[in-house]
Amino acid sequence: MSDRILPEKGLVVRHGIVEIGEHWAIAISGLILLVTGLFELPLANRYYITSLPGLGWSGDFIKALYIHYAASVVFIAASVFHLLYHGIRGERGMLPQWEDIRASILVIGSFFGKGEEPPFHKYLPEQRLAYVGMAVIIAMLILSGLVKTYKNLYAPDMPLALTIWATWIHNVFFVLFILALAAHIGALALKPNRPMFRGIFTGTVRLDYARRRHPLWIAELEGKDEGEARLEGPPGVEEGKGLPAETPEGGEAEGAGQTTAMEPAAAYDRGGAEKSGSQTADPHGGSGETQRR
Amino acid sequence: MEAERKSGLNRRSFLKAAAGVAAAGTGLPRPGRAIAAGEGRLATLIDLSLCDGCAERPVPACVAVCKEINKDKIPPIREPIPTPWPRKGVEDWSRRREVFDRLTPYNFIYVHRAEVEFEGRARTVFVPRRCMHCDNPACATICPFSANHKYENGAVVIDPDLCFGGAKCKAVCPWEIPQRQSGVGIYLHVLPNLAGNGVMYKCDLCQERLAAGKLPGCIEVCPRQAMLIGPRPRIFALGEERAKAMGGYIYGKKENGGTSSLYVSPVPIAALNGTMRREPGRPDMKAERRRMEETDRMGKAVLQAPLYGIAAGVFGAFLSLARRRDRRRGGEKDHE
Repeated sequence: MSDRILPEKGLVVRHGIVEIGEHWAIAISGLILLVTGLFELPLANRYYITSLPGLGWSGDFIKALYIHYAASVVFIAASVFHLLYHGIRGERGMLPQWEDIRASILVIGSFFGKGEEPPFHKYLPEQRLAYVGMAVIIAMLILSGLVKTYKNLYAPDMPLALTIWATWIHNVFFVLFILALAAHIGALALKPNRPMFRGIFTGTVRLDYARRRHPLWIAELEGKDEGEARLEGPPGVEEGKGLPAETPEGGEAEGAGQTTAMEPAAAYDRGGAEKSGSQTADPHGGSGETQRR
Repeated sequence: MEAERKSGLNRRSFLKAAAGVAAAGTGLPRPGRAIAAGEGRLATLIDLSLCDGCAERPVPACVAVCKEINKDKIPPIREPIPTPWPRKGVEDWSRRREVFDRLTPYNFIYVHRAEVEFEGRARTVFVPRRCMHCDNPACATICPFSANHKYENGAVVIDPDLCFGGAKCKAVCPWEIPQRQSGVGIYLHVLPNLAGNGVMYKCDLCQERLAAGKLPGCIEVCPRQAMLIGPRPRIFALGEERAKAMGGYIYGKKENGGTSSLYVSPVPIAALNGTMRREPGRPDMKAERRRMEETDRMGKAVLQAPLYGIAAGVFGAFLSLARRRDRRRGGEKDHE
C-alpha cells in the first residue's frame, strides 16, 4: 500500500501505480469484452453498427471473438494478479466487514439527504460491498469464459449440461457486469463521491476532502507516518511533528460542518500540526519522498 | 457393395451401432435431446458413384423421407410475423414448404445435379447436400445460447427451444447450412421486435430415430444404398477403400477442420464444385478451411492467462515486500 499524506501538496496518495494499472487494465479490457460480447449476441449487423466508420468488423463474429479473446488475456491476468498481489501483501482494506451492510444503508440514505454520513476509512462501506459484488461477477465471467474457450478449442462435444451452464452463467453475469459497471460509474454522479474521481487517474485525492470524509484512514496514515518517520525520517523531523498547529485544519473541518466528523477532525489536530510542521520543516517533505520510493 | 461386405459393414451392423448409441445416451440431463450423446462417434458416407438422384421419382427418396420425418418440426407460425427493428426482414418458408431443390427450414437435404466432363466424357453426378456435422463446428461453439451443440456421437443439433434465430450459425458455417424460419421460437416471448428473428433449422442426423435404434431416414430409404452410417473409424476406412477402388476423390475429411460426412466421388471435387453456384440454400464444394483457426492461438493465450496473472502477482508481491523490508532495514540503520 503506497497510501501516504503529501502535506506540502495538500494531497493524499490513495492509489499506487500498481493499483491504477490494475484498475485500468481491467476497466479497458472489460469494456472491450463488453462491446465484443454484445457483437457476439449477434447485434452489430441488426443494429447497423457495421455501418459505422471503423466498425465494419463488428459483424464478423470470428474477428470479434479474436478481439474478445485478446481482451480476456489482459482481463484474466490482471484479475488474478490483483488477487495474488494484494492477497500476499495482506492488503484487505476492500474486503467488507459485517457492519458494512448496515453502514451502507446509512451512507446511501445520507446521499439522499437522510441523516449524516458516518466517518469513513479509506473505502466507503458500500464500496467494499460493491467490490465483492464486482469480484464475484468477474470471477464467474472468467470461470465460465475459460470453460467456453476450452470448448471452442478442444472440446466442442463436451457434455451439453456443462456447455449450457457455462454459457448461461456467462450471459447472466454479463448482464450483471453491465449493471455493476453502470452503478460503479453512476456513483460518481453523487456529489459527495466526486472528489474521489481524480484518485483513479492521478492516484491522489485532496487532503482536506480526505480529512473531512475519511478521517479513520487519515488517522491510520498519520499513525503510520509517525511510526515510519521515526524509522525513516531524518532526525529533527519528529520535533517538527510536535509543533503546535499554527494553521490547523479547523477551517476545513468547519467547512465540512458535520457533527460526525467532529471527533475525528479533533483527532486530526495532530495531523494539522503535522501539516504545518512539514510546511515549516522541509525535511519532512523529503521524508515523504523517501516513502514514495 | 463388395467392399462393404468385405469390411464387415452392412445395414444391420450400422443399425446395431445406432442402437448402442441410443442406449448409452439414456440418463443424460436433457432426455429427448441429449439422447444423441453416447459411446463412439458416428460418421456417414455418401458414395456419389452410387447416387442416381432417384431419376425415376419426382423427388429423390432421401429428400422425400426427410421432409416426411420433419414435417411437424416447425410449430405453427405466429401471424403476422413480428417485424424486426431496426434492420427489417423476416424469412418465411411456411408457404413454400414443398421446395426441395435447396435447403430451407422445411427441407434439410437436397440433391444437386452436376453435369461434368471428366476424362473426355460427359458424366452426370448427383450430390446429396445437407449438414456435414463438422468435427469442430463453429456454428455450435459460437452460438451465444448454446442452442446448437455437437454431441459425442458427432451430430451437430440445434435445440429449437433455445434458438433465437440470430443466424450466427449460418454466418460462420462455410456452407451456410442452417436456415431460418421467422415467427417461431422463444424470441416471440422475449422482445420479438428487438432481439431474435425465429429459429434455425437443419439436419440433426435424425437424433430421435437414432435414439430409437433406427437409421437416419435418408440412409434407410436410399434405394441404392449410396449413404451409410456407422462408427467413425470404420466409415473413414471404408471411404478410403472405396475411393481407392474407384480411383476417386474424397470430400469432407479435411474441410472446415474435418467433418463426420465423407463424400466419395468418382470425379474430382473441383469438377463438382465447378457446377455449383453458391447461392442461398445451395452450398458449393470448395476446399473450405476452418476459419475459427484464426482465433485458436489467442484462445490458448486465454487459457494460459491465469498463469500469467499468478506469475506476475506472486513475483510482484514478493518483490514489493522485499523492497519494503529493505527500506525498513535501511531506515533502522539510519536511525542507529
